[in-house]
Amino acid sequence: MNYVILCFKNFIHRMLSLFSFGSKSVTNDLDIFIKTNTGNTISVSLDSSWDIRNVKEIVAPKLGFQPDEVKIIFAGKELKDNITLSECDLGQRSVLHAVTSKKKAKVIPIHDTVIEEEDLGSKPLNETLQDADFYNSRDDKVPLDLSKGKVNFYVYCPTCKSLKSGKLRVRCETCRSGAFTVYEDPQNWDDVLKHKQIPGYCENDLCPSKKSGRNGEFNFAAFFFKCSEHTSLGEEDEAVPLYLIKTNLREVSCLACGDICNPVIVFPCKDGHVTCLDCFRQYCSVRLSERQFWQHPDYGYTLACPTGCPDSFIEEVHHFRLLSDAQYAQYQKFATEEFVLRSGGVLCPQPGCGMGILIDEGCKKVACVNGCGYVFCRDCLQGYHIGACSSNEENIDSASCSYNVDPSKAANARWDEASKVAIKVLTKPCPKCRTPTERDGGCMHMVCTRAGCEFHWCWICQGPWTRECMASHWFD
Amino acid sequence: MAATRRLQKELGDIRQSGMKSFRDIHVDETNILTWQGLIVPDSPPYNKGAFKIEINFPAEYPFKPPKINFKTKIYHPNIDEKGQVCLPIISAENWKPATKTDQVIQALVALVNEPEPEHPLRADLAEEFLRDRKKFSKNAEEYTKKHSEKRPAD
Repeated sequence: MNYVILCFKNFIHRMLSLFSFGSKSVTNDLDIFIKTNTGNTISVSLDSSWDIRNVKEIVAPKLGFQPDEVKIIFAGKELKDNITLSECDLGQRSVLHAVTSKKKAKVIPIHDTVIEEEDLGSKPLNETLQDADFYNSRDDKVPLDLSKGKVNFYVYCPTCKSLKSGKLRVRCETCRSGAFTVYEDPQNWDDVLKHKQIPGYCENDLCPSKKSGRNGEFNFAAFFFKCSEHTSLGEEDEAVPLYLIKTNLREVSCLACGDICNPVIVFPCKDGHVTCLDCFRQYCSVRLSERQFWQHPDYGYTLACPTGCPDSFIEEVHHFRLLSDAQYAQYQKFATEEFVLRSGGVLCPQPGCGMGILIDEGCKKVACVNGCGYVFCRDCLQGYHIGACSSNEENIDSASCSYNVDPSKAANARWDEASKVAIKVLTKPCPKCRTPTERDGGCMHMVCTRAGCEFHWCWICQGPWTRECMASHWFD
Repeated sequence: MAATRRLQKELGDIRQSGMKSFRDIHVDETNILTWQGLIVPDSPPYNKGAFKIEINFPAEYPFKPPKINFKTKIYHPNIDEKGQVCLPIISAENWKPATKTDQVIQALVALVNEPEPEHPLRADLAEEFLRDRKKFSKNAEEYTKKHSEKRPAD
């Protein structure tokens, strides 16, 4: 029954839309939401070949105004009448902001220049930002002599679950309203990513900055990104900017494979070392398979420039989203484990569990509460016991209630006994972090391979590597 | 695959540069990850012969370093009886993906010409090298004459 009603409704809708647009042929139909500064939202269908003047003519009557009284704001810019919608990089279900321009635009002094009233309408942001400018850092003395292209932003889109090109959008930092115009364009990534870099004006009458009597003329812009690929799912549908990925305007070759690729990753080191995306993935997966990522105190589990430059850790760890899903899951697992270990916690030793547990200092008995429920000793990671840890793992105190089993058969029927033996015979623990370490050749000088430990130790003394070790048993 | 593309480029560059101290490079067309070549040192006592080496690149190259093995026996403090060589530039700690194979080969040739007894793989030879250089040179020269490959004519 419901279905029939729905079908009927759809049919009526279609008929109505046919009638209403019968006279005007709509070819490139864009479904757009228009938001007003009084909190209303209306939905309109527009043609992407129309200009802003057309939009005002359609929108203004619906709001009860004359077209001249309305300003159209999009991505931090008040759009000029002669801009066509196709220039604005609008996607389906994008939001335009219509505000009444009853307030006379004021003359605002910034950096000793004056923006006159006539200058206020402008081209959309995606048309005014130039790629070459954007990639030059502010202290870059040598201007790039390149044919200018528009900025290409790369994002990780959580909806498409992959690397996509992104669209830069602007809203008010205080009220998050999109009815916001910037006084100047962002010049580089710092302007976009850091707070309070680019001042602007919020047109939202309900913005708290106006009520509090603060200077409403000086608000700051908050920048965010949307995926260019899929239809917008609303104002909360954002994508993470992967700002190390850049269009290879300078045609720099990849430091690993030597090819000139596009786009590329530019590492945050002084030299700005470049790899292509394939080599970046390979770099990450090699490091991941050896558990050689670093736990950075501020950024989390990350990598530095493959050339080993100082201070070159990747801050935005979403760049590792370029890995496959399985690898990213492993990355997250390692990151969590590393965090637990660094915070003085332990990982549940039960095979297949590995739950991270933060423990009270001085407490030896650890229970895997939200995991498998195993209760174990913090020090030896064996089942919990009273008294000192026993180095002999065969101590079975349940002998009293056991069956009579042929000991040699029992010895052959033990779960993962072989790997336990192998670990026991072939490895020694790093004297500092206790990581079981295998020596597969070379001298007695060991360097712990666990990222962050890197302790130099002696395979024979099982203590720090000393001159004495070098003299007496370096190559035994 | 990054390794293949890069190695093809490197191999082409090295062959074109006409290095005197590393030549006769043989690479199986089906496996560019293994190179064989001839090290031709120019310092005594090793300038009496030439030495076959094999370079093995891992599939993860250049994010993991290549391994070098001597196929010709050599009397050298930094190269052991199995032909293993301890070359800092390709150790796991020092390796950088931007390091080119010709730099590695140059470092290897330099090490062959000038042994580093401070970081030996054969402690006995290092000791002889430091305590009695004459004896060491004599032994090394005899060993080279006996075991090494013929030097190319030019």
